[in-house]
Amino acid sequence: MSDSHDSSDFIKHLVNLFRIVGGVLVVGTVITVLIDINFPLSLAWAAVIGLSIALVKASFVVAIFMHYKWDKKLIWITWTMVLTFFFFAGMMGLILWSEGNIPKLDSALAISTGTNEIPTIWIVLASMLGVVLPAAFTVLTVKLLNQPAPVEAAAPKAGRTAPKKS
Amino acid sequence: MEIPYTVKPRPDTGLYNAKLGIWLFLASEVMLFGALFSSYVLLRVGAEPGTWSMGLMDIYVGAGNTMVLIASSMFVVLAWAQLKQGNLAGYKKWKWATIACAVLFLMVKWSYEWPSKFAHYDVWLNDAKVLHEKFEKGYHETASHIEPGGAAHDNTDAHDGDVEKYIEGIYTTRFFKESSVTSEDEFKKAWENGTLALSGHINSYEEAQIDFSITRWKADFGVSRADATKVLAKFSEDKADKLLQDGGELYEKTDYDTAKLAEYELGQAGFTVALSVAGYETIKKHPWMWGTKRVNEDIGGKPRVKSLVFGLDETQHHQEITLDVGDIKRLSAYEPKHSTFFGIYYTITGLHALHVFGGILIMLYNMLPVGLALWHKDREQYTNRIETFGLFWHFVDLVWIFLFPILYIL
Repeated sequence: MSDSHDSSDFIKHLVNLFRIVGGVLVVGTVITVLIDINFPLSLAWAAVIGLSIALVKASFVVAIFMHYKWDKKLIWITWTMVLTFFFFAGMMGLILWSEGNIPKLDSALAISTGTNEIPTIWIVLASMLGVVLPAAFTVLTVKLLNQPAPVEAAAPKAGRTAPKKS
Repeated sequence: MEIPYTVKPRPDTGLYNAKLGIWLFLASEVMLFGALFSSYVLLRVGAEPGTWSMGLMDIYVGAGNTMVLIASSMFVVLAWAQLKQGNLAGYKKWKWATIACAVLFLMVKWSYEWPSKFAHYDVWLNDAKVLHEKFEKGYHETASHIEPGGAAHDNTDAHDGDVEKYIEGIYTTRFFKESSVTSEDEFKKAWENGTLALSGHINSYEEAQIDFSITRWKADFGVSRADATKVLAKFSEDKADKLLQDGGELYEKTDYDTAKLAEYELGQAGFTVALSVAGYETIKKHPWMWGTKRVNEDIGGKPRVKSLVFGLDETQHHQEITLDVGDIKRLSAYEPKHSTFFGIYYTITGLHALHVFGGILIMLYNMLPVGLALWHKDREQYTNRIETFGLFWHFVDLVWIFLFPILYIL
């Protein structure tokens, strides 16, 4: 969080937000339970509904509790995590579609491609994710290591200064 | 090169170093749990119909635990807000509340959710005929004992004299959550093949009482006579010399574990011993972590355990039935070896609980004088430390937010 956000008023504003998010999380859990005990759902629907609510709850936690909302410069890590998500989702999707029996994507695929086979493009995309993910990490690491030394504002405290390298 | 500690955000990354570090750590955690989550989902959808026993999970306990973790996640961030305003007392109050919630979460897992699974069993029988007979006995007799209009009246209605239909209802809720063509087909198949499992707990069992006698002592075994007498004296002080000379009975109707231990130790000293089953005694104590192995171990061609008194679940009174060990094909508590479901269930919840436990340790450290010393030295650095811990703690909460629907609802 940047300095402009350290004021007492802002913290008070934050505390209110935290309370609201706490309420959202509790309500989300209650809704999940109510849906589960009142409506017998098939696996696919249970997955869609249960995980959607979980995703909403998770977004609130990340955005507000982890004050991600104010840490804009985390963008590189964000991309790494988003790619991780797509990597696992893609991997699961591929296996499920090759099994061909669980989420009935057959008809959707048949409409778009005229066949029940997995289009090659999905395999290519998933493999690319496998490359992009480690690449993103590499880029992040290199980027960080290549930064110039911190400027005066972040000068190390006295007594802990590293001896200057010639 | 020493890495300077910076409390202020660096202009290049926009974060102070510790925060960047914890976010990188969390990114790697996302991958760890991502892999486990994908594994769970793949195993779940790849499971044969009727093998994923999610109906055993108590959604109310799960939801309660979710609430507890949500509360702790909120408290930890409120604690940080107090610190940010320079209020150490307020911070401590919220932090202790966080620790209390975390401990409560672990206690529910450790003293209720997991142990109750270890104490409950599934029994598969060899013969469909025997299985049906046991079901009839268990559920029919319960139905006849329930008074009309009593608390358990619903149960009588559910029976309606048709045990098979009633069992199908239990089977469906446990494996399918709803009645469908697939669930009916799977039930019929399992009913006819006898592959349904009786679910419940072991109330008591009959274990073999063993007569233990020494048949001879081998002088050329390599153990001196004095040493052999010494070993024997551990089991029988007064008769040691006589037993060494002529052999004879050492124990009468002892329990299996004592007999096996004596057999091993005496065997090492050159004795030849004979075990025979004198009879069976009912053991009332709960056989904790009782494996299939115990049932199948034979003594002189007779199984160690003759029969189990098994309390069936899903009935108001836990109707007891007696199972002959010879009829049992497999017996397993709801432990990891029970099924793929429980294997992955314990892996994921165990790893998550380990994170919670680690979090508690870190929180306690931060609350002790040794941790608080940093507050008095450099307030901003301590506040940052609490913030980075908070990020970790929210992540632990996040994992549970996804675990809850996956384990309890899918």
